[in-house]
Amino acid sequence: MKTQPARENARILFGTLIFFAIWEFLGATTSWGIAMVPAPSRILMQAFADRELYWLHGTATIQTSAIGFAIGVTVAVVAALLFCLSPRLELAFRGINIALFATPAIVIGPLLVLFLKGDWPQTVLAALMVYFPAMSATLLGLRTVDPRIADLVAAYGGGEGKLMRYVRLRGALPDLFAGFRVAAPLAVLGAVLGEFGSGTRWGFGAFLLSALPQGNPARLWGIGLASSAIALAGYALFLLPARRLSASSTAVTLAAVQKAARPSGGWAWQRIALAGIAVALPFVIWWLAVTLTHVSPIIAPGPGRTVMFLIEGRQAAGARAALLTALGQTLPVALLGLLAGLAFAFALAALSLLAPAVARALLPIALVAQNMPLVAVVPFVVLIFGRDVTASVFMAMLVVFFPAYVLLHQGFTTVPRAASDLVSAYGGGRWKQLVHIAVPYSVGHLFAAAKLVAPQALLGVMVAEWLLSGVGLGNLLNVSRGGLDYDMIWAGALISILISVAAYEAVGFIERKVGR
Amino acid sequence: MMLTQTRRAFGKAAFAGLAAAAFAPMGRARAAETPLAFQSIWINDPEFIGYFIAIDKGWYKEAGLDLTYLPGGPDVIPQASLLTGKADIALTSLIETASAVSEKGATFKIIGAQFQKSPDSVISLEATGIKSIKDLVGKTVACPPLSLGTFKVLLGLNGVTEDQLKIVPYAFDPTPLATGQVDAVVDFMTSLPFIVEQTSGKKASYLLFYDFGLPFGQDLVTVNEETLKTRRKDIVAFMRASRKGWDEDFANPEKYTKEYENTWFKGNGYTPEAALYHSRIQVDLMKNPNGVFAMDDAWIASNLATLDKVGVKADKSLFDTSILAEL
Repeated sequence: MKTQPARENARILFGTLIFFAIWEFLGATTSWGIAMVPAPSRILMQAFADRELYWLHGTATIQTSAIGFAIGVTVAVVAALLFCLSPRLELAFRGINIALFATPAIVIGPLLVLFLKGDWPQTVLAALMVYFPAMSATLLGLRTVDPRIADLVAAYGGGEGKLMRYVRLRGALPDLFAGFRVAAPLAVLGAVLGEFGSGTRWGFGAFLLSALPQGNPARLWGIGLASSAIALAGYALFLLPARRLSASSTAVTLAAVQKAARPSGGWAWQRIALAGIAVALPFVIWWLAVTLTHVSPIIAPGPGRTVMFLIEGRQAAGARAALLTALGQTLPVALLGLLAGLAFAFALAALSLLAPAVARALLPIALVAQNMPLVAVVPFVVLIFGRDVTASVFMAMLVVFFPAYVLLHQGFTTVPRAASDLVSAYGGGRWKQLVHIAVPYSVGHLFAAAKLVAPQALLGVMVAEWLLSGVGLGNLLNVSRGGLDYDMIWAGALISILISVAAYEAVGFIERKVGR
Repeated sequence: MMLTQTRRAFGKAAFAGLAAAAFAPMGRARAAETPLAFQSIWINDPEFIGYFIAIDKGWYKEAGLDLTYLPGGPDVIPQASLLTGKADIALTSLIETASAVSEKGATFKIIGAQFQKSPDSVISLEATGIKSIKDLVGKTVACPPLSLGTFKVLLGLNGVTEDQLKIVPYAFDPTPLATGQVDAVVDFMTSLPFIVEQTSGKKASYLLFYDFGLPFGQDLVTVNEETLKTRRKDIVAFMRASRKGWDEDFANPEKYTKEYENTWFKGNGYTPEAALYHSRIQVDLMKNPNGVFAMDDAWIASNLATLDKVGVKADKSLFDTSILAEL
């Protein structure tokens, strides 16, 4: 859309101004506005009054996010290099990789707090959030080598070492930065979630926790928006080098679409063995960690004890019933949130094709909402949606829609020129383009999006259950913590991870069936 | 920023060390202090001011302890810190600790009670007219999921059945009470009534669980049985210094609250008025003629009776009064 960019910019500016004017008016004059959605001017004034606190907490959050990010991407890049050199290794680590990606942060947070001291729980949480997207983007970049260049290296007598040095590493840079771009806001979200729970004194998460009972909505909004701004700054930071490196912005999120590497010329039994290792490895590491650290089994039961907790003994039936009830409450809401989020993302992506100006005006709001830490969103969600299913669905939608939108939008815009030209040549408008070309063409992206965000939907719902609805898996884990029922917590964690992994694999399976 | 501070502090300390070499006393104590980690139950607010006073006055140091104070938070379970060894001593809640002992086989001992009466309350606007638990019939009450079991027992003891009122979850935020979305909330009465009055402009009132059939203490000083055996001297020293801190606070609760606004309480953004209200109102819940932390026979009996009512098995051996006897 190259038509009159100046006029469009003016329109966007005008729309933004109207948006803030309406907000200011409603927030300052209506009773619910004053109590729940304070006017922008009030938020700014409160933030100005709190400027010293913002500095203290902001620097702490930035520091934690940055350290967590550095650790996460370092491990991710090293892992990606190893996986690139040995696809077998990647297959063996597949279980760990997906478990790390799928584990809801809210489940790991309290477990990290058990064992780590100082700022480490929130730092490690940030690092864990970063690892998978950064690793898979880097790996994608390393693997995508133009065969002609590879042939060239080979023709001049270069081996894998030379290929890695001259081609792969350089070629991977745009993907690397794209991965960092997605990972940086996640580091901030992980840090803030960690700070909220860990009992630290500094950081926006801690500030949010102490501000919650103060009945000061302007301060709550300020903290949420400031955290969002830090997360967005992280995104922007890696936008620049990426732009400089390549004009064609390679989509990071595509990483989730990549097919698992197959060892070349492997035997069937070898593949089965690797798959077995992939499944077993997370459990072996869990067992080793528990056994070697000698932590009280009340707190850290091993995999065996956790599974037996659900199968054997007088508590098993009760525990199973409690978990099943919780799952019955959580899963439908998560699924609903996932579908609603995907639908909204689809609508927004379609809108960007039909009415680009509207989509562009909505995008900043979407970006800010997406990067608000979940715990910071809770107060507003309660105030606006109450505490029933709608609120939980909304929370799930919130985490789901943006990554899904990015992918879908990319799917829509990478439609081959020839295909859309054909529709135009026959006089078809934007609507026809969408229905006949863009939608069918981006089915693959839709699946990729679903795979990427399915575990996130569970996270959104569990945070909602923990802090606002008091039902389901999120609540069960919270209440069990108070009763020191760590058997239940580890069992709940295990089940939620298995469900996330199953959702991820199921979408992948459908995708492969459809793709053929 | 932290780094420069540390460096500066280091520089100062190094300089002080040189100076001390000439004038002896300062540097000497360090080697003699035994490390002791103390896990609190919530973030830094006036609820723990007695310990802050004892730290700042150097009373733990005088008693030979190098105390590490660990603030609590939503993800921090103090009893778990005792089990992982992160902490040697912790503040815990009665029901959670008792059930960990009876159901999970933990070997905790409660050696003192910071609050004689727990601040757990049903808080409402005065205008709503809730003067007893019975008045909750037909009302909407917000209750934290973790207190739900106890609250239901409280209702039962006062002849109210669950279906006579509506219970919704509550997550730290008092706005729904101020705006009238709920009629009452279950929370500590140490700061919420003040904040609700500030935001709604209407008077708030509270009913203590303690006064309506469920008497129990709060912020119970808890240790592993093992620690009690092996580090008795350190625990006695900790309790002595902590009691001294609290006595200092009781003598003038406002003084230190104001003083700590920019140190211990810095960053939490509480208004000075809310912190002062908190400091004043909690004193009566903690005081005991035998000194803070006291657990007399009648108190232990009433706590056991409460545990019985909420269905947690426990007996006298949960409490160990021998440390208190040595203070």
